[in-house]
Amino acid sequence: MHRFLRITVLLTGLFAAFSIYAAESQQSVPMTEDSLGPLVEQPIEFPHNRHAGDADKGGMQINCMYCHTYARRSAVAGIPPLQKCIGCHQSIESVRETPRIKKLFEYWEAKKAVPWKKVHDLPDFVRFNHERHIKRFIEQQNRPFQEVCGYCHGNVKEMTVARRSKGLTMGWCASCHQKDHTVVAEGGTPIGTQAYWYTFYKPEVEDASAGVLKAKGPNDCWRCHK
Amino acid sequence: MMDSGFDRRDFLKVMGWSGAAVALSGCGNTSIEDGKETLVSYVEAVDYQIPGVGVYYNSSCAQCDAGCSINGKVREGRVLKLEGNPASAINRGKMCGLGQAGVQHHYNPDRLREPLLRNGGSGETITWEKAYALISEKLKGVSGEEIAFLSGVVSGHLKVLLGNYLSSLGSKNHFVYEALAPGVVRAANKKAYGVEMPRYNISKAKVVLSFGADFLGAWVSPVHFSQQYAQFRKGVDGQRGVLIQVEPKMTLTGANADRWVPIRPGTEGILALGIINALGIATGDIAAAVKGYDKARVSKETGVPPGHIDKIAAILKLRSPSLVLAGGAAEGYAHGSQNAAAINLLNHVLGNVGKTVEASAAVPFPQMAPAKGNTAALKSLNDGLAEGKYKVLFNYAANPVFTAPGAMKFKDNMAKAGFKVAFAHYMDETALQADLVLPLESALEDWGTQVPEYMAEGAQINILQPLMENVHPNTRSIGDILLALLKQSRAEEYKNYEDFYAYLRSALVQNKAALGGHAMDEDAFWNETLTKGIIKLVGTTAALSGKAGISGLKLPAPAEIDEQYPLQLIPSVNISLRDGRHTNQPWLQESPDPLTTIVWDSWMEIHPKKAAELGIVEGDIVEITSRIGSIKTQAYLFPGIHPDAISVPIGQGHEAMGRYAKGYGVNPLKIMDAVFDRETGELAMHETRVKVSKTGQRVIVVKDESAAGAKQIREKIAGRVYTDNVDLTKEV
Ligand code: SF4
Repeated sequence: MHRFLRITVLLTGLFAAFSIYAAESQQSVPMTEDSLGPLVEQPIEFPHNRHAGDADKGGMQINCMYCHTYARRSAVAGIPPLQKCIGCHQSIESVRETPRIKKLFEYWEAKKAVPWKKVHDLPDFVRFNHERHIKRFIEQQNRPFQEVCGYCHGNVKEMTVARRSKGLTMGWCASCHQKDHTVVAEGGTPIGTQAYWYTFYKPEVEDASAGVLKAKGPNDCWRCHK
Repeated sequence: MMDSGFDRRDFLKVMGWSGAAVALSGCGNTSIEDGKETLVSYVEAVDYQIPGVGVYYNSSCAQCDAGCSINGKVREGRVLKLEGNPASAINRGKMCGLGQAGVQHHYNPDRLREPLLRNGGSGETITWEKAYALISEKLKGVSGEEIAFLSGVVSGHLKVLLGNYLSSLGSKNHFVYEALAPGVVRAANKKAYGVEMPRYNISKAKVVLSFGADFLGAWVSPVHFSQQYAQFRKGVDGQRGVLIQVEPKMTLTGANADRWVPIRPGTEGILALGIINALGIATGDIAAAVKGYDKARVSKETGVPPGHIDKIAAILKLRSPSLVLAGGAAEGYAHGSQNAAAINLLNHVLGNVGKTVEASAAVPFPQMAPAKGNTAALKSLNDGLAEGKYKVLFNYAANPVFTAPGAMKFKDNMAKAGFKVAFAHYMDETALQADLVLPLESALEDWGTQVPEYMAEGAQINILQPLMENVHPNTRSIGDILLALLKQSRAEEYKNYEDFYAYLRSALVQNKAALGGHAMDEDAFWNETLTKGIIKLVGTTAALSGKAGISGLKLPAPAEIDEQYPLQLIPSVNISLRDGRHTNQPWLQESPDPLTTIVWDSWMEIHPKKAAELGIVEGDIVEITSRIGSIKTQAYLFPGIHPDAISVPIGQGHEAMGRYAKGYGVNPLKIMDAVFDRETGELAMHETRVKVSKTGQRVIVVKDESAAGAKQIREKIAGRVYTDNVDLTKEV
């Protein structure tokens, strides 16, 4: 009897445990190109479209990296210091009295940081490096910055507050790393003054006669899981 | 009560499974916190600060007095990790575990944050202004003789400032107390070599014979010696160096030795003379004096088999130069000076002086050289306190209430001082007895200069600079405090120095020509100094002047076994905890003792043979009783100890200090007799006799080693095999 009770309790426990796991895992993001994240409410509804959008849509066409200045220098992109916002806005009289800008100046005068909420986040065991991607695609290959940032962040220039629009799962990352990307010379070198291979392997030469070399992104576990 | 059959064990199983499930789901997307976690940006950007990118600053380690130079990684304004600075000749880019734990000192949750004034049994938070005013008030009408300042080793500009402060008070009572400094060896070296601390060239020696000098663990400059040791093992002329360690309790160095020779505690000097005799190369009065130390007698008195003595002598003769070291285990006796002198004599006889024992360089500013001291200073302070001589007592970087031997009754005597000021990082045992406690910045927040006692090559001044802003805004630099106190009486003289930084900068910049910066302007020199973290100097080298003398060298016969207290207590030095000032750094508690692998506790090492005699097995809680008192701890059977001795590590047994220190283990110094070296007056650390009895309780010893590992170590210890059939030259 006691034994039976024990086993029942254990089984119940196991079942409960599995249900917790199953319930959690249902949330896993499908590996599709586009996968909308939650709508995140921010302390100030920052209009990305106004700042970075195209001129014909009323945008200022500001380079992403003008504000997200750490992205090309560090693993993390960072959020611009408040000082940066104020730097421009103190001399833009036309919008000075709008509710959002008033709120911005309130933070500034109190010397308090704006408590932005994270929109793009990866698990702690993944090390994504902004700098590497920017070097690879913007600096070395001269692709348009909005396209490059957009690989992962979506079409931010048409958003107000940013919203995650890609899966950012491992499968999603790998789907891009498995693609053949054009490289400048054999072996991924020389690009600028820096020489490195993109993978452990020599890039597959596709249509070498046309002088087009292609290589896949790094595929070693430790690139991201340090 | 009905037995439902669902006991604690089953309950835990269920809990375990659910826990695992939660953990598993944690691996999924739930660790992603978009929309939840706040991203805080800077309000204003800070120069040179890029989130995610580290910047590196050079500074100096202050965890012990070896004076290693460090390089700290700082990210987002927080220091994260320390490494050694490769430019320093002392540590060449390396650090020890104790040094690594420096960040845990810095971020320690138990650090003092506000000045505290005693109010009955508790401390009341006061302002710095009030604290300074109070000191000035208490010093009014007190003569210089009635003021005492107790400190650990101080050097560099802090020492100068402290000297000036004391002279402004008209006091000469600066007591420098380092509980574990090699006080006796320094005095013996001074006689034998003319300097207190020569440069030991371990890397040039072909044989090192060390009498209890744990130079790989905790002796003088362990990181430096470890690197020398690596070279020594690679060998000179292709001959791998041979290390012989003679000591009653195996240290880390002993465990690395080719031959570990257990010796009856206190007879190290006799063995040294016995080896001189066996060498047969001494002449004159030395030869005459050692004549009596024939093999049979020496072997009988020291417990070292005659064959061992022969072999040690043979290998010393065969391979030259060698190096003989006198360390902590040899000096801790009433005749410690004699022991050390006999051991140093061996270096003279072997012709090592000038080859492996060399003159060391000194910084050409003698006022900055370290103020050194050992337990003799503590004794004289303690005597003064007992007589009620001191009205005001300052304490900095020492914790005598914890480290003074129980027989001194330091705590009671300290209470006789009228007003006690402690400059402290933690509320340690001594701070707890003070009337005013002033919180200090950590070494990673402070400015300063260090002049290490043991110089590796040339001379150097180490720079201490803040790696980050204060974790606790109301802590202050000891330099700033002394400067503020100095200004109370000499405001005019020091008015140009707003703070200690200004003092330091102007003192160094004014002397830039002598510090290698004659071609630079002031800013360039200063920036370069801070960038490098070290000022290298040619240094002045005092030639070795001592000579081989045997006059006055008299070694007592080995002590008789005391019937009532038959065992010798060896308070051993743990490589992480040292004198206990860092016990509140949990990494150090957690890193296993290298020989026993025990963590977070004290233990008593006892030889298995002795344990069998007393019916003790591992984990027995035993009571160790001396004339002074008794302590209780767990027994650990250890073949690396002489059967006539037991050993308990120093550093545990705190009654205060913080959450990681208080209440762990026991303090062997509490039951220590106050016996002093006859010549130097330093405390004889190994002169306490004890008896051991079982209490009947038993625990499981928490340690890393497995039963198999322990067996292996036991088999490796050659000292256990008392045989003459060992040829050291063939073994290595
Ligand atoms: S030996 Fe001393 S100074 Fe050197 S790293 Fe270790 S604790 Fe720091």
